[in-house]
Amino acid sequence: MTNGYHGKILHVDLTTGKFNVEEPGEDFYRKYLGGSAMALHYLLKDMPPGADPLGPDNILVLALSVLTGVSISGQSRLTAAAKSPLTGAIGDSQGGGFFPAELKFAGFDALVIKGKSPKPVYLWIHDGEYEIRDASHIWGSITGEAEQTIREDLGDKKIEVMQIGPAGENAVRFAGIFSNSNRANGRTGMGAVMGSKNLKAVAVRGKNRPSIADKARLLELAKWGAANLADSDIAGLAKYGTNETTGSNQESGTLPTYNYNSGVFEDWEKIDGTTMYDTVLKGTGEGKQDREGRDTCYACVVRCKRVVEILEGPYKVDPKYGGPEYETTSTFGNYCAIDDLAAICKANEICNKFGMDSISCGATISWAFEAFNEGKLTLKDTDGLDLSWGNAESMVKLTEKIAKREGFGDLLAEGSERAAKKIGRGTEEYLITFKGQEAPAHMPRVKRSLAVIYATNPFGADHQSHEHDPAIEDDFEYYEERLGVLGFSEGVEPQTLNREKMRFTVATQRLYSAMDSLNLCQFVFGPAWQLYGPNDIVELVQAVTGWEDFNYSDIENVGERRINMMRMFNAREGFDRQQDIIPEKLYKPLKGGASDGWKLDKDEVESALDTYFELSGWDVKSGIPTPEKLEELGLAWTAT
Amino acid sequence: MEIHLQLFSILRDIIPPELKGRTVIQLNERSTLKDLLTELDINRRVAISVNDLQERNRSRMLKDGDEVKIFTSVGGG
Repeated sequence: MTNGYHGKILHVDLTTGKFNVEEPGEDFYRKYLGGSAMALHYLLKDMPPGADPLGPDNILVLALSVLTGVSISGQSRLTAAAKSPLTGAIGDSQGGGFFPAELKFAGFDALVIKGKSPKPVYLWIHDGEYEIRDASHIWGSITGEAEQTIREDLGDKKIEVMQIGPAGENAVRFAGIFSNSNRANGRTGMGAVMGSKNLKAVAVRGKNRPSIADKARLLELAKWGAANLADSDIAGLAKYGTNETTGSNQESGTLPTYNYNSGVFEDWEKIDGTTMYDTVLKGTGEGKQDREGRDTCYACVVRCKRVVEILEGPYKVDPKYGGPEYETTSTFGNYCAIDDLAAICKANEICNKFGMDSISCGATISWAFEAFNEGKLTLKDTDGLDLSWGNAESMVKLTEKIAKREGFGDLLAEGSERAAKKIGRGTEEYLITFKGQEAPAHMPRVKRSLAVIYATNPFGADHQSHEHDPAIEDDFEYYEERLGVLGFSEGVEPQTLNREKMRFTVATQRLYSAMDSLNLCQFVFGPAWQLYGPNDIVELVQAVTGWEDFNYSDIENVGERRINMMRMFNAREGFDRQQDIIPEKLYKPLKGGASDGWKLDKDEVESALDTYFELSGWDVKSGIPTPEKLEELGLAWTAT
Repeated sequence: MEIHLQLFSILRDIIPPELKGRTVIQLNERSTLKDLLTELDINRRVAISVNDLQERNRSRMLKDGDEVKIFTSVGGG
């Protein structure tokens, strides 16, 4: 008897068209919990080292957890993992929506996708059944159209579709995988991997819900969340979206502007969450934006997703494609010094229609903006596009050219690091990339533990791989009880990188890592300001699975196991501490606002890295997990 | 004394919606940021700037004409 999961993993080889259903036992689910850690198991076990990320030897895993599909906020999320065509290292991307829960109801806990189909296809999985179907007629279609066609083909408008857009077909190195035409597993180029396999989409539908061990306990937890949302720290995020954070980032000087040269943007109020709420959300004109302009994921009461509708002006936006998150208003907005909210929403729509990661796309454009403004790129390079700071029209045009790999866009579709290497002329000094992946909109020169995480994270810069510094700094008094579960009894001084800060970094990284394996939303669950705390996660796993002996150390272990598996995947691809590099720009001072003059110090960072590796149980010189650590985590097999 | 106040995110709901988060509030002389938060009945975690400069010290004394911005926010995004 399994609770919360089916015990079924669907394997498909697209080269041969053959399926296989694996039925792992409880030990497997206890060891990995699902999601990212489970995906790493298959990537390490079945992918040959040195595989071409865009070749048939790469393996794409779409994985759920033992919690996916149960009726509580923040659980309908999915991991997409493969070798990344952007970084050459492990690729890992998390996304939410309705598809994850529906895949669970269709009868499986994960899909392991190998090989390459000889022609465009999609997978149709329903109530434990599965088949490969021709996708020639939708190859080249934008996401909204392909989704509609698949639903019409199969005669069920409630089918959930996860798919690539034309950008994934065109092997844009930061193409993502999308569901609902507006929910992205955006990062690390997983859409390009899917496209390289000639796999357009996965369609799912079903009624196979796994049993729940203690329904009453689950219901109690769910009701508590709904009752406490309004008084929680995520109440603002619910109403104003992740774009709520624009203002506080401006206030603290952590709003990356002018391609990370400044931490403040003077026109930030034109693009923040309240302005979005007041002007562009669907239903705003009639005061109905709370009902029509906010969307959600399966069973989630938070409703943080934005739905933008713009009917007039140069940038009309279709609400089908959602609305920009904080990351997106930042990369297309403040990164490029653009204050035109409609243009930013248009760029977001293009990313969702064509299937691109809006972080890497916007950040790559911002790199080009700086190179242009510094005279290193000319109109001849940019197909005549004027990339002066703040030029919204050029930004929107360039976004579409990237998706279609047209002209200058073809170069930028390779990502900013490859583009800089090809162009040269000193443009490398404008890069904000880690292992080749563009940095998200959180400032390591102020929130300094981000520097260590961005540098060491196996899949490149990521802002959701640990808890940010304020929780252990000024805000510690608010979160003392929750952080106490992780072993912290007092805060640390702001802007430090001392040993206690590194202990906080490692401890919260393990929790976030486990949440990416439990596929939990990191706004709803977490160690500090989130709706539910770490003890609630333990209780949730117990209630769903019936594993009454499950405790917080199990969460820590899975989180640590996942990170170690990723480091081992990278090690066999030739990555070690030498690639845990921080871009030179971050050692130069920020200009303006609360963070004026702030910069990273190389000696301080190197010392912090030493401490981070030591606390992680890895060889400090190489940054690779030691044999003892691997043995402790049941991962000795990954070294062979 | 008069404090020029700007409230963001859900803090806007404290004052009438047509003000879009902007208002002027009267406080006694020698009032602090903590007094201002008490006056507004704000108990949650917030970030504050005074005259566009980040201010962590809740004991900071305010003066007539100060512009105070109060934000709520979460850590990621």
